[in-house]
Amino acid sequence: MSMSTILTRTITRLIFLPTLVTAVAVLVKGYAGAGDGFSAGVIAGTGVVIQFLAFGPRELVARYPSLRRAPLLAWSGLLLGLVTAFAPVIWGDPIMTLYPRPGEDVPHLGLLAFHTAVLFDAAVFLLVFGFIVSVLGTIGNRYGSEGADS
Amino acid sequence: MPEEFRVLAPLVVAALGTAAVAVLGAVRPRLAPPLAVATAALALSATLLMPAGGQVDLPWAPTWGLRLTFAADGLARLYALLATGVGLAVLTYAAGYMPLHAAHEGYPLSRTVRLYSLILLFMTAMLGLVLAQDLIVLIIFWDLTAITSYYLIGYEREQEASRRAALTALLVTGISAILLILAGVLLYTRFGTAQLPDILAQVQAGPFVTATGALIAVAALAKSAQVPLHFWLPQAMVAPTPVSAYLHSAAMVAAGVFLLGRVHPLLALSPGLQNVLLAGGFASMAIGGVLALAQREIKRLLAYSTIAQYGYVVVMLSLGAVEGAAYYILAHALIKSALFMSAGAVTEATGETDLDRLGGLARPLPLLAVGSGLAAAGLAALPLTMGFFKDEVFFAAAAERGGLVSVLAVAGAVLSFAYTWRFWGGIFTGRLRSQVQRIPATLTLPVLVLGLLVMLGGIVPDPAASLAAAAGESMAERATPLELAYHLDLHAPTLMAVITWVLGIVAVLTAPRWTAAPRVVARIGERYGPDRGMFMGLVRLTTFSRRSRAFLEVRNLQWRIATVLVAAALVVGATIVLAPPWPTFRVGRLPTSDWPLFLFLLLAALSALVATRSAGRLILVLALSAVGYSLAAVFTFIGAPDVALVALLIETMMTLLLLAVLGLLPIGLARAPAEHEPHPGRRRAVGFITTAFVFVICWGVLSWPAPDAVMARAHLELAPAAHAADVVTAILADFRGLDTLGEITVIAIALLGAVTFFVSRRSA
Amino acid sequence: MILALALVISVLFGCGAFLLLKRDLIRMAGGIILISNAANLFIVSAGLSRGREPIYPLPAGERISDPVVQALVLTAIVIGFGTVAVLLGMIYRTYTARLAKAVDEGDETGRTPMSMPPEDRVAD
Repeated sequence: MSMSTILTRTITRLIFLPTLVTAVAVLVKGYAGAGDGFSAGVIAGTGVVIQFLAFGPRELVARYPSLRRAPLLAWSGLLLGLVTAFAPVIWGDPIMTLYPRPGEDVPHLGLLAFHTAVLFDAAVFLLVFGFIVSVLGTIGNRYGSEGADS
Repeated sequence: MPEEFRVLAPLVVAALGTAAVAVLGAVRPRLAPPLAVATAALALSATLLMPAGGQVDLPWAPTWGLRLTFAADGLARLYALLATGVGLAVLTYAAGYMPLHAAHEGYPLSRTVRLYSLILLFMTAMLGLVLAQDLIVLIIFWDLTAITSYYLIGYEREQEASRRAALTALLVTGISAILLILAGVLLYTRFGTAQLPDILAQVQAGPFVTATGALIAVAALAKSAQVPLHFWLPQAMVAPTPVSAYLHSAAMVAAGVFLLGRVHPLLALSPGLQNVLLAGGFASMAIGGVLALAQREIKRLLAYSTIAQYGYVVVMLSLGAVEGAAYYILAHALIKSALFMSAGAVTEATGETDLDRLGGLARPLPLLAVGSGLAAAGLAALPLTMGFFKDEVFFAAAAERGGLVSVLAVAGAVLSFAYTWRFWGGIFTGRLRSQVQRIPATLTLPVLVLGLLVMLGGIVPDPAASLAAAAGESMAERATPLELAYHLDLHAPTLMAVITWVLGIVAVLTAPRWTAAPRVVARIGERYGPDRGMFMGLVRLTTFSRRSRAFLEVRNLQWRIATVLVAAALVVGATIVLAPPWPTFRVGRLPTSDWPLFLFLLLAALSALVATRSAGRLILVLALSAVGYSLAAVFTFIGAPDVALVALLIETMMTLLLLAVLGLLPIGLARAPAEHEPHPGRRRAVGFITTAFVFVICWGVLSWPAPDAVMARAHLELAPAAHAADVVTAILADFRGLDTLGEITVIAIALLGAVTFFVSRRSA
Repeated sequence: MILALALVISVLFGCGAFLLLKRDLIRMAGGIILISNAANLFIVSAGLSRGREPIYPLPAGERISDPVVQALVLTAIVIGFGTVAVLLGMIYRTYTARLAKAVDEGDETGRTPMSMPPEDRVAD
């Protein structure tokens, strides 16, 4: 399925990492402006899908074999979400208690704020990203194995 | 601190040992058996060092009042000793047995490592189960034993009989575990605590306690293979002998009666339940005993014997003789594992499992015969063995009840005598009928050790008796001393024992006359018994589901959808006629600032109309994405930037997904297939009707004067307290975080579904 | 604005219902997509206030859009996507099962667009 030229392939390869960085940026700035885990996940997913379109499934999986483990991303996202929600129970706070509590200071690193809500958003990010890559990756694999069909 | 550590030490040792054996065994298979044996020995010493009455209390979820509580009371110590002690014997035995077994079955030694780690895992689960004082912890370990036993019974994965037996066992014990969970939930909601001591202190007689007790009893009886839930145990004999010797004599089936003992104060409050248990125990004794006489395969004989022997225990528990029951469990565990192990050794030595083809093995295998003989003597309750005392406490309890119970007790004991002789005599006496090979000492040694322990317990009964007395004390919550000694006077238990021996010897001598009868009973059981019942139940369930599907299946999808829409329209129409809403409809203003919004709305509507055309599917996809993008623009102008961003991105992904799937379909992107869509006029009509009634509803809702936006304002005001500048993100991650958690679970499930559908059938 | 919103929502829903009644499974999926879009738009327009974005610092004196409905619709959009993915999976399986049956009966050629040489692909 090589419907791409040299130009397409080069550009696509170049924008892969910036796409992922943009996704993480949208995730992190979600609390301060527009953006949240859902949109970040879809941006990252779109980045991977663009790679699929340009390179085709076989070549892409050959270069990044971890794509086969994409569902694992989704499950780890779910696990992270569950842990963030239920961990406070262990030390006596109600479910879904986020830290730092209202009134306390949020530790900052420049413009980057560290609080557990970002962890929860990250869980959502992983899940949506994992979902998109898994589903579209599986569909892409069907293209790769056309002819040797079920 | 040191006390808590000592209480939990056996559990920790067993758990670490499991991991160590699993990991190291994968690297060096030869290390697994010695490591497993060492772990068991360590666990046994840790058990012996447990402080009597030591407690552990760790609050782990204070919000919900959940605590991890363990206590090393008498009952826990008895069972822990059994689990680790018999486990040590079994693992030593397995070290010699598994290489032979693997050679027979033809698989490499490295595959046997799994057995050791699974047995150690089971030991861990048993230890956790008996030490637990908290209902939740108890249920977790209960289920863990069921799961581990599934893997152990189904150890020979390739053989269908193993898989089926494992599944049967799991179904029977698993479904009854649900009843246990139900009982646990009921108790927790009623008494507000999951701690067993607190619950048992508060229970009072009444229908609630009877009901809960019945649920727990069913779960326990299923686990201990009592009638009518006994049929999984004989099938489980396909497992390798170490598994049978451990699980099905000393550990897994003992867990059932352990549970009965743990909640004894609760069960003792309902005499009706006790009588039912009494009857059930006798039924197990009868059926187990009779069917044991009908078996030709030695392990199956022992399985039925186990069913019968645990009937003894259930009878004693229902009669309130808790310390006797504890002693019986102890004695039986030693005896039965020794007998199982000798059966396995015999099979490895001769290659035969059938009694008709075995015999006269006392000469070639003298040590095995001695060890096995001591254990068999214990099972038949001959003097100078622990078995004599086990039957004495049984008869004492039965005699206290008097009459019918005593008669039934003697009858059951006669059956035990008979089948014990059938087993031991059939294997070791008589004519030598098969070839005998040498077997390693590790197969004979554990049998001999256990047999000697059985004899020792008969000569010096006090250590075992005090263990049992302590166990009985924790079960009955009062002092239950147990004094065992040889009486030469004629009080009831001795009399009954003598009668049993006499009748037993008669039965043995007249064996050829009545051997046909048990076989008939066995055949009746196969035809009408619970095993067949379960099988028929599953068949009927499948038929029922097939018939329901045929009945409920949607034949004409479109017709049904149209019905729903038209019916909704009729309802709305009726409302309009009955309560005309005209005055409340408002048109609303259209200020200049809203023109972009208006234009994009128009674009969305027009794209939707384009999508309905009968052109090729590509037009459809493009129109749908136009709708999505216009809506994203609408969201922007309506003041919802987060939603607009997500809508934009998702619409892109949706278009890509649609195109990808269309490319996979035959004639995917071409013109619509030649088949005409029938009834276009009807479809258009339903479309218009739907538009109309939805319009009425929407206009009515949107015209409603907006109430004071308290909720919205509250969310807006609370956001800074949540360290958020974007209120929507704060709502998603914080205020309504649990909803989001539920939603991402939905996406995770959708992932499973979508990927399953698209995966190639060959790799699925 | 109210009338306009109501009209557009109902048109979206009606087109979706129309597509839902078609026999072509892909058009049916399209109908479901349109109906969920209509529902999402409905929820957002049912917000209690409409104005500027609910992001701090809030402009003083202006109306702010209701953030609660936005949060609801955001997850609804993503879940709708997930549902459509599963639906398309089922449709794909239905087609390939039917195709296998058709090939057995010697009906269709069984060629998909991507396995055909570029000249033969039908573009529309």
